[in-house]
Amino acid sequence: MHLRGIIVGNKQKFVIGLTLVIAILCFPAVVYAHGAFIEYTSSVEIEIVATYDTGEPMSDAQVVVYAPDDPANPWLTGVCDEEGRFTFTPDSSKTGTWDVQVRKSGHGDTAHIPVGDGGGTTGETGGYTVLQIVLMSVCVIWGFIGTALYFSRRKA
Amino acid sequence: MKKRFSLIAVVAVLIAATFIVGCNGGEETGGTLQFYANGEDFVRQGFVSKDGWSISFDHVYVVLDDVAAYQTDPPYDPHEGSDIEAEVMVGLEGLHTVDLAEGDEDALPIRLGDVQAGVGHYNAVSWKMAKAPAGPAEGYSLVIMGTATKDGESIDFTINVEDEYGYACGEYVGDERKGIVQDGATADVEMTFHFDHIFGDAGTPLDDSLNVGAVGFEPFSVIAQDGELNENMAGLQEKLSLEAYEALVTMLPTLGHVGEGHCHCE
Repeated sequence: MHLRGIIVGNKQKFVIGLTLVIAILCFPAVVYAHGAFIEYTSSVEIEIVATYDTGEPMSDAQVVVYAPDDPANPWLTGVCDEEGRFTFTPDSSKTGTWDVQVRKSGHGDTAHIPVGDGGGTTGETGGYTVLQIVLMSVCVIWGFIGTALYFSRRKA
Repeated sequence: MKKRFSLIAVVAVLIAATFIVGCNGGEETGGTLQFYANGEDFVRQGFVSKDGWSISFDHVYVVLDDVAAYQTDPPYDPHEGSDIEAEVMVGLEGLHTVDLAEGDEDALPIRLGDVQAGVGHYNAVSWKMAKAPAGPAEGYSLVIMGTATKDGESIDFTINVEDEYGYACGEYVGDERKGIVQDGATADVEMTFHFDHIFGDAGTPLDDSLNVGAVGFEPFSVIAQDGELNENMAGLQEKLSLEAYEALVTMLPTLGHVGEGHCHCE
């Protein structure tokens, strides 16, 4: 009944009321005092095997690993073992293409390894869904409108 | 009242939109991308061939055409041998004849030119070695001039290559990462030429694939006359042994690299 009265009798009160209701609905994680929060990470180990064209392993070759978010600076450096193998665990929060460069005696190559949803994964409970993000954006805009209406009413 | 409400709503949306756009960081204007050609220390300082000839170079003219750099995603893989597919490409206009032996032993790689380039990683490069219409390499895509000495014997040689080659390469492989253009900054890409692929390298084991495939200099010394050799590919086909000529034909397309990274050649 009260809600109906606001709708019929005063549009500005409805606006302010609706703003408060949506704001409360949009931020449950902030309001709940005893909400649980769990972060989790599952990582995937990457192994490369570097060989020459002849199939001979590139033993003791230099390895430089570049993360997707900083292609200019090495994320990790190392050396292949005698069989040309090198293993590393990428930071699974850095999704995208990881570049692994291997060099020895004037020979070199770069492997481009995608790491994303199909490989290492990251996540957390309590994260916002797309719908929640859109709803929060609407709330912010609606808050501007409601605030403006409130002050314009006082002047009137 | 409705009019005022509408006005306030529009203003509020505009303010919110301004915040959102402002957080985007503004438009990226790009930077400068420089193109270099590099014959490495083999050309600048000379080296000893796989068969013991000390080789120094007076001039190594290479004629470059259709020089371009690309942002490729997924990164171009020269092993697949396909064409480079990219949404972003920048290139140098015109044909460039450069002397890879220019300067002293510590000379820097040869800078062909600069272009304005959008922000991003230029992780693929392509170029052609084309016959020069004029200049010191007229009629050839590659001219190698130098002196080879061994056991007191000295041979002045000029090897002229009239064949043309097209190289498609992935990203530079070397001490540093190249081709990353940032806003307002300068980056570079490099076309690298490995002449040890032709002559071999005494500093590398003889059973290394590099030396196994290389021609060496001994076959050239055999056909030199009075301490001089000046031939083009047609002449070399006629005078070299079949084995040596085929090795030369096989190795010439492997000259082009990006640092230590290999290229696809057509």
